[in-house]
Amino acid sequence: MRFIIQRDQLIDSIQHVMKAISSRVTIPILTGIKIEASAEGIKLTGSDSDISIESFIPKEEDGIINAEEITEGSIVVQAKYFPDIIRKLPLKAVEIVADENYQVTIKSGGAEFHLNGQDATEYPQLPVLHTDNSFTLKNEVLKDLIKQTVFAVSTVETRPILTGVNMKLEEGFLNFVATDSHRLASRKLPVDLETEQIDFKNVVIPGKSLSELNKIIEDNEDTITISVTENQILFQTKHLYFLSRLLDGNYPETSRLIPDQSKTVIYAKTKELLQAIDRASLLAKENRNNVVKLQTKENDQLEITSNTPEVGEVVEDLSTDSIDGEELKISFSAKYVIDALKIIEEEKVKIEFTGAMRPFIIRPMDNEHILQLILPVRTY
Amino acid sequence: MNNWKELATIQPVATKMIVNMIERNRISHAYLFHGQKGTGKNQIATMLTKSIFCLNRIDGEPCHTCRNCIRITSGNHPDVHKIVPEGASIKKDQILHLQKEFSYTGLESNRKVYIIQDADKMTVNAANKLLKFLEEPSQQTTAILLTDNVNGIIQTIRSRCQIIALQPLNENKMQTVLQESGITASNARLFSAITNNVEDAKMFDQDEWFAQARNLVVQLIEMLQHKKDEVLLFIQKQWMPHFSERSQLQLGLDLLILWYKDVMYQLIGKEEYIIFHAYLDKIEESALYWSREDTTQILYAMMEAKKRINQNVHPTLLMEQLTLRMQR
Amino acid sequence: MSKWYPKNGKVIFHVDMNSFYASVEAAHNPALKGKPLAIAGNPEERRGIVVTSSYEARAKGVKTTMPLWEAKRLCPELIVMRPNFERYRNASSEMFKMLAEITPYVQPVSIDEGYMDISSCESLGSPLEIAKTIQSRIATELGIPCSIGIAPNKFLAKMASDMKKPMGITVLRLRDLSDKLWPLPVEEMYGIGSKTAEKLYKLDIKTIKDLVEADVYVLKRVLGINGERLQNRAKGIDPSIVDPDAIYDFKSIGNSETLPEDTVNDQEISQLLRKLARKVSARLKRKKVVGQHIQLTIRFHDRKTITRSKKLVELIEEETTIFKYALSLLDEHWNGKPIRLLGITVQDLHDKQEIVQQLDLFTYEKEASKEKLYQAMEKLTEKYGTDTFTKMNNSEDKTQPSTSFQKDYLDDYKK
Repeated sequence: MRFIIQRDQLIDSIQHVMKAISSRVTIPILTGIKIEASAEGIKLTGSDSDISIESFIPKEEDGIINAEEITEGSIVVQAKYFPDIIRKLPLKAVEIVADENYQVTIKSGGAEFHLNGQDATEYPQLPVLHTDNSFTLKNEVLKDLIKQTVFAVSTVETRPILTGVNMKLEEGFLNFVATDSHRLASRKLPVDLETEQIDFKNVVIPGKSLSELNKIIEDNEDTITISVTENQILFQTKHLYFLSRLLDGNYPETSRLIPDQSKTVIYAKTKELLQAIDRASLLAKENRNNVVKLQTKENDQLEITSNTPEVGEVVEDLSTDSIDGEELKISFSAKYVIDALKIIEEEKVKIEFTGAMRPFIIRPMDNEHILQLILPVRTY
Repeated sequence: MNNWKELATIQPVATKMIVNMIERNRISHAYLFHGQKGTGKNQIATMLTKSIFCLNRIDGEPCHTCRNCIRITSGNHPDVHKIVPEGASIKKDQILHLQKEFSYTGLESNRKVYIIQDADKMTVNAANKLLKFLEEPSQQTTAILLTDNVNGIIQTIRSRCQIIALQPLNENKMQTVLQESGITASNARLFSAITNNVEDAKMFDQDEWFAQARNLVVQLIEMLQHKKDEVLLFIQKQWMPHFSERSQLQLGLDLLILWYKDVMYQLIGKEEYIIFHAYLDKIEESALYWSREDTTQILYAMMEAKKRINQNVHPTLLMEQLTLRMQR
Repeated sequence: MSKWYPKNGKVIFHVDMNSFYASVEAAHNPALKGKPLAIAGNPEERRGIVVTSSYEARAKGVKTTMPLWEAKRLCPELIVMRPNFERYRNASSEMFKMLAEITPYVQPVSIDEGYMDISSCESLGSPLEIAKTIQSRIATELGIPCSIGIAPNKFLAKMASDMKKPMGITVLRLRDLSDKLWPLPVEEMYGIGSKTAEKLYKLDIKTIKDLVEADVYVLKRVLGINGERLQNRAKGIDPSIVDPDAIYDFKSIGNSETLPEDTVNDQEISQLLRKLARKVSARLKRKKVVGQHIQLTIRFHDRKTITRSKKLVELIEEETTIFKYALSLLDEHWNGKPIRLLGITVQDLHDKQEIVQQLDLFTYEKEASKEKLYQAMEKLTEKYGTDTFTKMNNSEDKTQPSTSFQKDYLDDYKK
């Protein structure tokens, strides 16, 4: 393998793939970066086995030459040394050569490094994109989907499947659902698919992977292509591929757990409600679930209270746009409601209750595609 | 031993069962291989894993040259996970790692293999976590547990594994192997009597400590016959300093037991079984000194002593009591 | 026989040793029997005070807290002795051991009195028979007289044991109250001291009957929440349970047990842990508390003892969760050496009433189905106060609350 490459391009690529590399891996080869040279360009790969990132540098793009004099081949180099070496090279162009004994030579100007490499066949084989089994979204839309759901995944390992976000694609809708069993976040998106064939239900993406992905993709109008294989999901932007392993097992059916009728409906201003609950939670003791009480009053008023005997008590009356239906007195964890309200950008929210011991639903007014469901707490 | 055929020479039954399953594509979700040290547990586990992943398997034999086989050897196969206890037990982090791996899909495919070495070193907590997985294994996952102490594995786990017992290595076979590697016939005979592991045996042959241990055994026997008054002093000044670790003392007792077995063989006229061939004259002398009855008593006493070493008995005291019981 | 043991009620004993110190001394030295005897802090000094005295001395007017010189004046032949606490503690310990043989639900109140809940002792005979057995055993084996009150709750049992002394057995049923309890002057009621009595007198409440008939709001105004409690007791209502743990620090509940032999066997060890978890769980439930801190005690074969604990994110009360955390503590801290004794203690206890339960998406239906009931309870609670339902949800299990009483408490006494 041999090629000459623009150093800045290479540094960019290295930075991308380094995000997937961890020093705490059990598989020795994963401490390295895989470099693959082909006629089309140079591909770098980093992986901690949970997520893998591939960054492609095309030989030529928009008339600019990135890499030249390519002899095909591949090698794995130590991620501990390679990035620093490249960063500190003297010239704009770098020559990288690997011989049949996996010896890597890095040349730039007068500097010449020799690095022990490893056989690239030792590196995991990652799935490639299947175009017949993929769909495309705008970057910003995918980022929204992630932000509006991933916070609700479980962080404890008692039910591992709940540490992921369930992605469903059926009946023209893409649906992300996450729940830690105390609250559930769901976001739907109508999608216009060219291929009618795609249809999946039980794809569960680890929450950690999605948070990582959210950091990597830029918030813009570009598009991202998503394809799912038996054991991995692949997100592909122009030159960056992000892969994640999936969670193994069946995601619980949650749709039937969501109440379809309500007994008390409140319309309120998102921000005011959020701030009032945030204030009340100041006196709600953290280790007791942060409990805040909410009670409907006359004249569309809501009373929000909280007390901790050792600390004190807070009462706040809040005017709402309307309160319809039965009287209600309910207690819940302030954190869950704050989390839910925070991701709602619309000015007004609709909250539907079906009783003090049943889940309630928070949605933006006039947007049925976002749903935040929260389980109350029972007080004794 | 890089193929099933060779493994069949030391573990014919187990090998046949496993190869059968591979060829009929009936790999279980969980195996428990148990057998003494040196019976080939690790080799069989690795061979089985390769047979599962090999891209060019022929008649159940893996090729050892495809990228999967190569990576199983190098430890780089991302869907093969091996847990080896760090120190006395399998650590919490190792179990957490295992648990996480159980809940994820594989990296390359959904075919996954977990090998747990010295599975008896799992704590109850760890075993319970493993059990959870064994109760609802995912389709293409295989767990391979290895142990030399099958009773150290909780029953609930055992009942969910296909248990394959590995036979102790045949002594004759081992002796031949050792002699082929240049060890004298009489030493080969002794080593194969005290270990099943070829590597251990080769080490004994090179080991100063072991040579000295054997000398001390012979000296002790002589003293018991001729200088009874000095036995206790000998135990304190020479024997104990040499066998200062419990495991060393166990070996010392093993050697003594072999000696008295030889004495017994001599007494009942089965000289062909004698292991301490190089000391035949001294065995004969011992057989004139101790009666059959005495020898049986001494053997019992030593078996008991071996058990007690592990129960926090003071080692010197134990040896002193033992030698008192050995005196006629 | 079940007529003695009502289905929904309890049978409570109050066992009270009569002039305990003096009785113990007399039992120890028969020459003192039938003589006027006083135990005093400092017999040499005339200024010493009578701690307790025998019935013979009391007959002459000797009273507790009376200065010695006065006692001697009233009863010149009075024998005065120093207290011998070691002796009393031993006798007390023996006495509680006898009670604990009848039922594990024994609540020591002080060195010479305690409550017993014999509701589930039907197989041992009628309450009266059991009381007679206890009384005669204590008298013959320890040489100490005692009085026993038998009633449906602790308060009435305490009042009953006071009605006939020494060596009395008094049954006080609800239907006896108007005859036996209510005519008594109000200051005779347990829980009413001279100050409270004074306040009640001002309200013209002179007998217990007056207290029963008083306006609860007036009582509350004058005596606070205690006013209502006193009136309830006078009416024969006392929901407090016989609590073997009452003498302990309220902040923890724990059990420990020695293994039959020192062991490193995982299965034996986890079996014992599970047993301890079960016992601790039963005690937590009985007291309606949950804990947030768990502590494991390991004593090794060489008597070296370690305790390791952990603060938890969840509140625990169930056997399985207690076991789970205890096991993980063991896992982390056991060095593999032979174990002689294990103990589990749950600390940082909270009343269940103080806590909240986060409902779960996958199980809420179960809780929600009880919603109507909870609502009704809440309404009634608002109306009638928080004690309304404590009696109803006493679906308390009859499991033994462990050896805590028999062992730990008596060990304390033996020290």
